[in-house]
Amino acid sequence: MSQVQSKPEGQPVPGREDLRLRIETRIRTLERASGNGLWSMVCFLLVSFAAFDGFSFLPELSTKMRSLLGTPPPAEMISLALVVYAFSGIVRTLARMSRNIKPYLGLMHAAFFTVFYTFYHLSGALQDNFWAVFFAGISVMGLENYYLWTHSSAALKKERALLKSMHEKGAEQ
Amino acid sequence: MLSSINSRAIVPVACAVTGFVIACCVLLFTFVKEDLIRGEIHHAVDLADTVIKSTRYAMLHDDRETLSNIISSIGDQNQVEHVRIFNKKGLIMFSREQGELDKFIDKSAAGCNECHAEEKPKGSLGTMAQARQFTNKDGKDVLAITAPIYNEPECSNAACHFHTSEQSLLGTLDIGVSQDPLKQTLGQLQNRMIVFSGMILILTVGAVCALLYRQVFLPIKQLADFTETPVNGRLGEEFPDVSGDIARLARSFQEMTNRVHELETKASAKPDDDS
Repeated sequence: MSQVQSKPEGQPVPGREDLRLRIETRIRTLERASGNGLWSMVCFLLVSFAAFDGFSFLPELSTKMRSLLGTPPPAEMISLALVVYAFSGIVRTLARMSRNIKPYLGLMHAAFFTVFYTFYHLSGALQDNFWAVFFAGISVMGLENYYLWTHSSAALKKERALLKSMHEKGAEQ
Repeated sequence: MLSSINSRAIVPVACAVTGFVIACCVLLFTFVKEDLIRGEIHHAVDLADTVIKSTRYAMLHDDRETLSNIISSIGDQNQVEHVRIFNKKGLIMFSREQGELDKFIDKSAAGCNECHAEEKPKGSLGTMAQARQFTNKDGKDVLAITAPIYNEPECSNAACHFHTSEQSLLGTLDIGVSQDPLKQTLGQLQNRMIVFSGMILILTVGAVCALLYRQVFLPIKQLADFTETPVNGRLGEEFPDVSGDIARLARSFQEMTNRVHELETKASAKPDDDS
């Protein structure tokens, strides 16, 4: 013989409360991830702004420092690396989009494009190649952040719907 | 919803393709520009060598009048902005500009400091290091070459000369050519690349848009129209002109609506039967 115990009104069910907390945590994580993409884009734009000005706010590298760093790579090699990086970045993002794999955070791309600006600056070829890095960065990071945003939005929508249905069920009981 | 699918499918592809094509065009333009400038420098170095070889006979015979005439004639050429020969101390001996004769060259100026940056000047320079680019006082962009005139056995052994065999460098030829033709070529190349890239972009993005519209958006729109217009609870007999998965979806939807309609009809007929 089974005994059915009725729950006191207004008291939360322990399992359900735990699930609600987990959903809320997931929602916060997704919101943060979506925001990180935006921050990486802002970082890239700030670095681009500084690079457009030729990093004039930074002090000139001393001869000793330059000799320590060694000979900068030729501009042609940097350009080749930039094309390969941008192309593979776009292809990888498109592949992740088509397979619905979790997107990367854009911070990694922002760091790489900053390195490209730095190498061009040290090679003395930044003025000629600035727009190439800028447009490559905008296309790769724009696509990556767009995917991050759509992926996060879809997941957020799903989690919020789940939370809403939990609230409705709780209210019914 | 349709506009949302449109924007979600086309905007990222268009942005990625546009950004990548622009970045590649900028890099390609930089490569071509570097190659053209390198070619121009080689051409100017050859010109400087030709001038030195042309003046060699006059120098060996210490024929200063002929030398001066040669320098003036070369300097009068259309694209030549300046041409001068100065001795080891930097004193200008021959020049197209009569006003700068017997004046000293500034050794710290661009073109001189490549050799004179250190206490002991360099004896020789590579082809690229001989070149310098600057804007002259007339506001013209100039590519200048400094070519050293080395001592040769014929120079030190000549009866008329006072150069000893220990002197390695006798003087320097400095010749500057206008960069206007190069800039004009680069401007034309830039314009053509912009037009070409624009055409590539329009074709690529246009083709993607057209294909997506024809293969995806139009069938979805037809399906949406088909499902939104039930006649007396049944979907119309005019099946949308679609194929593949969308046709399957339309057929399933039609069957489901018809089944619902039948059930509704049965349910509404039941009370009458009971009575």
